[in-house]
Amino acid sequence: MKIGLDESLCVGHGRCYELAPDVFGEDEQGHCRLLVEDLGEDLVAQARRGADNCPERAITVEEN
Amino acid sequence: MSDDLEQNSYNIFTAEFAACPHQTYEAMKSGCPVSRNAINQGPILTRHEDVMWALRHPEIFSSQMDLHLAIGTVRPMIPQQIDPPAQTKYRRILDPRFSRRRMLEIQDDVRASANDLIDRFIDDGRCEFDEAFAIPLPCISFLSLMGLPLEELDLFLELKDNIIRPQESAADPADAPRIRAETGQRIYAYFEQMIADRRANPTDDMMGYLVEVELEGAKLTNEEILDISYLLLLGGLDTVTATLGCNIAYLASNPDQRQRLVTNPELIPAAVEELLRYETPVMQIPRVLKQDVSIAGVELKAGELVTLMIGASNVDEAAFENAGVVDFDRERNVHVAFGAGPHRCLGSHLARMELRVGMEEWHRRIPQYEIQAGETPRYTPGIREVRYLPLVWNATP
Repeated sequence: MKIGLDESLCVGHGRCYELAPDVFGEDEQGHCRLLVEDLGEDLVAQARRGADNCPERAITVEEN
Repeated sequence: MSDDLEQNSYNIFTAEFAACPHQTYEAMKSGCPVSRNAINQGPILTRHEDVMWALRHPEIFSSQMDLHLAIGTVRPMIPQQIDPPAQTKYRRILDPRFSRRRMLEIQDDVRASANDLIDRFIDDGRCEFDEAFAIPLPCISFLSLMGLPLEELDLFLELKDNIIRPQESAADPADAPRIRAETGQRIYAYFEQMIADRRANPTDDMMGYLVEVELEGAKLTNEEILDISYLLLLGGLDTVTATLGCNIAYLASNPDQRQRLVTNPELIPAAVEELLRYETPVMQIPRVLKQDVSIAGVELKAGELVTLMIGASNVDEAAFENAGVVDFDRERNVHVAFGAGPHRCLGSHLARMELRVGMEEWHRRIPQYEIQAGETPRYTPGIREVRYLPLVWNATP
């Protein structure tokens, strides 16, 4: 699985790194940064949770 | 058309609407996608999709409207009342000071403040929640973050209330504009003095940061700092108070949900999000249209003052499954209680931390509480502060 982030949409709600801290981190502005690109099986559910809860829909989780 | 307009027109600035907005939200959403604001005749958007679109298009739905909404200011507040790209520059220097990481650094102080407050009334077995807890907790945190003297808490509360709710302190409602204007001048004068102090004696608090930080190679002017401080004062002292009140009023009236949080305190962060969604204490966000635009087939005109009813969009079935049900296990919660797009609430991480810590300590210390028999909570119009919330519990001395 692959994870994508549209940085132009992120405004720093911070839901992703709150709910999925192994997949998403925060930069100095409080905007999202990806901690991993290719998702292992163990992180897929967490990544989806972060993506689903982004109010800006800035995150995608897709098949490679 | 005129009949349609009248049926579709709502007075959203009443205590009744603030106390129980959901029926009105439903009425708004069941009719035309664009309702009308009975006070200023402007359009009201209620659908999640439309509200999101508006929030993400500041070039059309502008925040520059200080002429429409006088709140004692003589210039737009920064960054709330200016548009990108200027707004973006200010957010770049302010966001790092309000990041989640920084807010977690001060959560132990907030926890200590919450316990100090609870110590004062827990043995009484009763309190008026707004005065006893919801007002002081965020105000103490805010003053400490800013580096402002805690002894002046009452002064700040008076300034804030005069601006946001002049109708509560004015004997004659016609006095409200005068009270706001005079209070605005007092706020500017107070912060002007603070700026002079900080320029003479640097500190590492927020006021100290604002006088030192550089934007595109230059320090901020006094006017810029005043326009930022004015916003931080209003935002920092009011909205978390309102949210704490809405949350506790809901839980006091829904003992099963309250008990779930007492038994499972790890659910509190999710409960904070779900109650932000369902209660949405700041129900509406104003914008002014820069150009004609068509929303859901309705033509809106340049210059119209638009109300984005985020409270209604947060219970839109198109965006939330079982939108009318408060569900602490909700898996997808994309509420916009803090707005969205470039103006996403600057203090959202501070607010979330204060709400979580406040709810954790309250329920740890006072797990069983209810609204005093025979009493009815009183909500203020506009922002839903629960101005009267008498609670009782069994005190165990």
